Amino acid sequence: MAMKRRRLGRFTNYFVRYLVLGSWGVFCAAPVLWFLSIGLRPRVEIISPQPIYWPTFTLDAWNMIWSVWPMASYLRNSLLAIAGSIVIDLVLAIPAAYSLARYKYRFRDDIGFYILSTRMMAPAIVAIPIFFLFKNLGLLDTVWALMLIYAAVNLSLVTWIIRSYMLDISYEIEDAARMDGATDLRILWSIIIPISAPGIVTATVIAAIFAINEFLFTLLLSSTKNAYTLSVALANFTGGSDGVIYNAIALVAFIAFVPMVLLVLVIQRHLSRGLTMGAVKG
Amino acid sequence: MPYFLVAPAVIYLMFITLYPGVYAIYQSFFFVRFNQWTFAGLANYQQLFADADFWASLWNTFVMGSIALAIEFTVALTVAAFAYRDPFVRGWRIVFLLPMLFMTSAVSFMWKLAFNDARVVSDLLTRVGLIESNIDFLGKVWPARFTLIMTDVWQWTPFLFIIFVGALQGQDSEIEESARLDGAKWRQIFWHISLPMMMPIIAVALILRGIDITTMFASVFIITGGTPGGATETISFFIYRMGFKTFNFGYASSAAFVMLVITIVVAQTFVKRFFRPGRD
Repeated sequence: MAMKRRRLGRFTNYFVRYLVLGSWGVFCAAPVLWFLSIGLRPRVEIISPQPIYWPTFTLDAWNMIWSVWPMASYLRNSLLAIAGSIVIDLVLAIPAAYSLARYKYRFRDDIGFYILSTRMMAPAIVAIPIFFLFKNLGLLDTVWALMLIYAAVNLSLVTWIIRSYMLDISYEIEDAARMDGATDLRILWSIIIPISAPGIVTATVIAAIFAINEFLFTLLLSSTKNAYTLSVALANFTGGSDGVIYNAIALVAFIAFVPMVLLVLVIQRHLSRGLTMGAVKG
Repeated sequence: MPYFLVAPAVIYLMFITLYPGVYAIYQSFFFVRFNQWTFAGLANYQQLFADADFWASLWNTFVMGSIALAIEFTVALTVAAFAYRDPFVRGWRIVFLLPMLFMTSAVSFMWKLAFNDARVVSDLLTRVGLIESNIDFLGKVWPARFTLIMTDVWQWTPFLFIIFVGALQGQDSEIEESARLDGAKWRQIFWHISLPMMMPIIAVALILRGIDITTMFASVFIITGGTPGGATETISFFIYRMGFKTFNFGYASSAAFVMLVITIVVAQTFVKRFFRPGRD
């Protein structure tokens, strides 16, 4: 009897578990598939009195984003701004992380917190001054402005993630190299950077996710296809009297989505550590 | 040497946060009309504290943010608790992360289409018999707020989920194993062993998500524009509207300064307790 009840309990456990996991999985995945289907359907089918679930497929939207809309410019702007910002971040963050992780000095913790605190700053707080700053620099509506601002938005994150991986490296390796007469910069370059490579890659991917998402600064700093990125260009797919062009929006969303999925698959194991800036050692 | 290494990053951040911060405070004491700056003293602040829209935007940010955060936390923790030792889920974990990998602007359009423009949500709810006629989601206060909350929950629950799963998997499985041998059920193990051990990480995750939620902007901009009657206007959207729609820069800066003060207070209280910069 007790045996039977335990088996029944076990079954309920499994049932509840997979019910929860399954429904959450469907909730996450179904909208994605539905939205993909939107991208492959004619416009008349998308907004109709009764939703149409069984689609007729067409590549209308695909052709339109490349011919009518300057999709190539949007894509190029996004790629350049994100890649450039990550280069700036790594150049600034790797030495900073090394300094925070491997040295002891006055104000070290305060400097670390200062860097972290910039992550807590809402874009809206500095939006107006940033707008005037870039206006005075003559950088409005350029990819350079976006590069600089994305770099600033992500710098705290990148520094803290890399710092967390550098903390794990044992001091013995470093001491041995120093005995052999290596300078600090040499140690950083040939020992610390190679060992913390997973952290650097993780930081890069997470910075890319936040950069491609960035909306407010991009909205303010760009005004034409010179600097529109995918994220803000979407808001312009409204075609005046035609209303919102959802199938084009959906396709553009997927063009940005696919590379993100591939990148995240690469760093999946490091994701929780990266997103908490090193607080989880998963 | 260490100062020399950390200096470039600090200088860069000062240029992009400290300088604009100071500029915003300075500007908040002026009436700004295009290039005309007239000294205003505290007039902007007096007007701000008497402005019902401003208080409403703070309240909306708080209400929508805390409801969304509560839902995200509950769901993420539940799903993580069920998923973390499950080999089947391990291989398919990416499915649970998909929403996070969409651009926020795209997610906003997607839910705008589902809730409002194509009425898919209404249609599905009618089909299962929960409602009888279409709901006008963006026309009424709570349905409009609910739409924004749903958008945030869908996209960002995965953020908390992956952090919690990582934290749970990082825990020593031997402790769980020995508790199981002592006859503890997995529910008891979770409540009494795993959960208390991951408290610091829960705090960190909630701080990070909580901060991002208070800056909610793209979804408001795309889905509701603050309507109906300002019921979904967040503080970020308020600052944007004052600055770049009515070109009242000095006034917008005073609101930005108030937001900055709130941020600093929160950061000082919570952040220092849960983040440690270096080795002790």
